[in-house]
Amino acid sequence: MKILIADDDPISRRLLEKTLEREGFDVIAVDNGRSALERLSLPNGPRLALLDWVMPELDGIGVCLGVQKLHDRSYIHIVLLTSKGSKEDVVAGLNSGANDYLTKPWDPAELVARLRVGQRVLQLEDGLVEARETMRFKATHDSLTSLLNRGVIVDSLARELTRTRREGRCTVVMLADLDHFKAVNDGHGHLVGDEVLKEVARRLLASVRSYDLVGRYGGEEFLIVLNNCDSSQAFERAEEVRRGIAGSPIQTSYGPLHITMSIGVLASRDWELNLVEDILSETDSALYKAKADGRNCVSFARPILQGGSPNTLINQL
Amino acid sequence: MNQERDYLANAVLDCPDLLSRVDNDRDLLRELIEIFKAEFPELLNQLKGAVVRREMKSAENTCHSLKGMLSGLSGLRASAVAANLERMCRDADPLEFSVSLELLEREVGKLLSELDIFAIEVQP
Repeated sequence: MKILIADDDPISRRLLEKTLEREGFDVIAVDNGRSALERLSLPNGPRLALLDWVMPELDGIGVCLGVQKLHDRSYIHIVLLTSKGSKEDVVAGLNSGANDYLTKPWDPAELVARLRVGQRVLQLEDGLVEARETMRFKATHDSLTSLLNRGVIVDSLARELTRTRREGRCTVVMLADLDHFKAVNDGHGHLVGDEVLKEVARRLLASVRSYDLVGRYGGEEFLIVLNNCDSSQAFERAEEVRRGIAGSPIQTSYGPLHITMSIGVLASRDWELNLVEDILSETDSALYKAKADGRNCVSFARPILQGGSPNTLINQL
Repeated sequence: MNQERDYLANAVLDCPDLLSRVDNDRDLLRELIEIFKAEFPELLNQLKGAVVRREMKSAENTCHSLKGMLSGLSGLRASAVAANLERMCRDADPLEFSVSLELLEREVGKLLSELDIFAIEVQP
């Protein structure tokens, strides 16, 4: 584990460096508080720090106060190591944000034991952060496909439309539905159906850009939002998505299955004040049209402009 | 002057403490002695200059650094004298300051002699 030592006394600094290296720490040593705060501010900077109080440029208390203002950094465990040993000093040090306090001359065994406490606190914090992230993922993603769940993809669409209106850019909304998926479930069982859904999710993500949004809208329905995508490109993009599914069979435990997808598309830069529900309803109508047209195809909800020219329209499929 | 007399109760160098501090690492011990020899003259000049200019906060910080270094080398007497000088600076008490400064130089001289002997004695 990385540890920062900040001490202007070269003898203390060297002693601490050697002692902590022996204990397996990855030591970074600096001789003033300003450098210490800079190191602690780095994204992958040390999360364990041993600070002298009296230092040039910025003292240990100043570093503690500076660390408290680093909102985008994870928790940093700070031990103040100083010859200031009065009760008032200890209280002032801890009140400034230090997590522990040791007086010089230090006992190496006690110093290491206290740093181990710091390590345990950091490990506990890591565990809590990981658990929080797991919970956050579970709350926002579909458990089977790991795509965004319905609530999140619809909220994301609403946010994207707000931005589109503000910036005057074009957004493409696609509602995609697997064709005859019930037959997969009924004919081969739900486990095979789940395998198909997982592979479809993987292919959908592979067929869009990293900043586009893909969510599971319903059982075998998927909502795709292409940010900042020109309407003239919408048809080709939708076709890419469709071909990504139909282009090759999906390998399942039953064997390869040929799966196809119908897609309803709505592309516009002029959403006016449309409600998300209205937009989804309009896109859903396009999807129904794609189904009615024989499935495994793309259908547009509105005529779209090609190349930005108002005279050139791609007809509804 | 009681505090100055008290320092005499201490050993010039606490050898077992120093050896434990460096974890019996003789190379480290010699390295620390060399660091101190290189740093001390500069710190002493800083201290004298700050006192002449009556910059007592700066003088106090320099005494604090000296105290820490001497304490790190287990120089009990010299660190006690440095601590006394630090207090004098903090209290803006220049009385006996020059005497204490000379005392510090003497005690550091004694400490360095004992450190040099100790460094030879502990050689493997």
